[in-house]
Amino acid sequence: MTSSNTKFSAVTGSSRKVADNAADWHNLMVRWDKLNGRGFQLATNIVNMRRSQTDRRPPDDVPSASTSQSFLPVVQQHTAAAADLQEECSKLQAVVDQMVVVVEKMERLTAVQKGLQDLEEFQFGPEGRASPLCHSWRTREFVDSAQVLLAAFSQELKLKQVVLQELAHTASADLQLVYLSCWLHQPYIPPQSRLTLEALLLETGHRPL
Amino acid sequence: MSLQGALRRSFLLLQEQQGVWGSILQECDSLAESLGNLGEQMGGLARVRLSDTPLRVFPDLQERLRFQLVQEADLLLQRLRGRMSDLQSVRDSISNQASAVLLLYEDAADTLDLAALSRRSSVVPSAADMLEWLQDAERYYRQQFLQRKILLQTLRLEDLSQVEGFPQRWKTLESPDSEQRITDTLCRLSFFMESQ
Repeated sequence: MTSSNTKFSAVTGSSRKVADNAADWHNLMVRWDKLNGRGFQLATNIVNMRRSQTDRRPPDDVPSASTSQSFLPVVQQHTAAAADLQEECSKLQAVVDQMVVVVEKMERLTAVQKGLQDLEEFQFGPEGRASPLCHSWRTREFVDSAQVLLAAFSQELKLKQVVLQELAHTASADLQLVYLSCWLHQPYIPPQSRLTLEALLLETGHRPL
Repeated sequence: MSLQGALRRSFLLLQEQQGVWGSILQECDSLAESLGNLGEQMGGLARVRLSDTPLRVFPDLQERLRFQLVQEADLLLQRLRGRMSDLQSVRDSISNQASAVLLLYEDAADTLDLAALSRRSSVVPSAADMLEWLQDAERYYRQQFLQRKILLQTLRLEDLSQVEGFPQRWKTLESPDSEQRITDTLCRLSFFMESQ
């Protein structure tokens, strides 16, 4: 028995494709995690800026002689703060844009996986191939796990997009906290998704059995 | 006199374990802080009616996020409990040492001369004083451990205000005065501990 590495460097065709796909899933999820971490930092900044803006806002109903003198700097201060806020929002937008790219790549991976299954049905009939592509999974199971992962990340992406749109516009501290919490804990990517990936990596020999 | 030797060993151990205790407690403090943070997030989630917010398009969000938060909190609690058993071993080693020394003293009490026991010099405090300080230190760690253990055991993740307030309650258990008294004692004994 050779090591799994050499075993898989020799395989070709559908098995090779399946193994490569699994590695791509892994890399995309690592990329997503990095983006998520960066995005969380930006989101926290946005919330902090919003809070300090609200704190700094001078009471409107205080008419005084000094108002006219201090009015200009206050406005300038506000514009500066608003510009900073805008900048952080743009950065967060960029992060979400990159997340969109990640999910698009995941869609492509899932499509390829489905294509492999179709090809197999074409070659071997509806029963599929007699011997498994890797260790034990049927080709159908690779498609299933790809679809599970894709569904999780697509839904999480939708959530991120809503958070991105709303984060800077909410004044409620509780809601801000919920947005941040959503961003950090990724409710649509439960621990099971990580297990699905690990199963995929085990099956394709990227993780030693 | 072997009682003196035993006392010396005890204070050397106390000195070492004081450092261990402190570093474990530091870890616990940051875990407690994180737990409080999660409690705030859970509180925020419970107070917000998601159906009135732009998040209403995600009907299962509340439940899912709550699940993630509870799971994270559970993980933190597990780590805190792990640190508690480390604190327990510190307490045990100090308690064992202190009771061994006390036993040694009691065994020899009849033959020991009271004047000798209370005799002190500029560098060596009296054996009686040292026995007392050792007992004080032992009691401090025993109580500290118990109080923290009880606080942790009575913590219910369902009780959000309890989780949110956990870091504060954890902090109130700090007793810098007693901690300082032990440090002072060890300073006073530094000559004695170094002498052989």
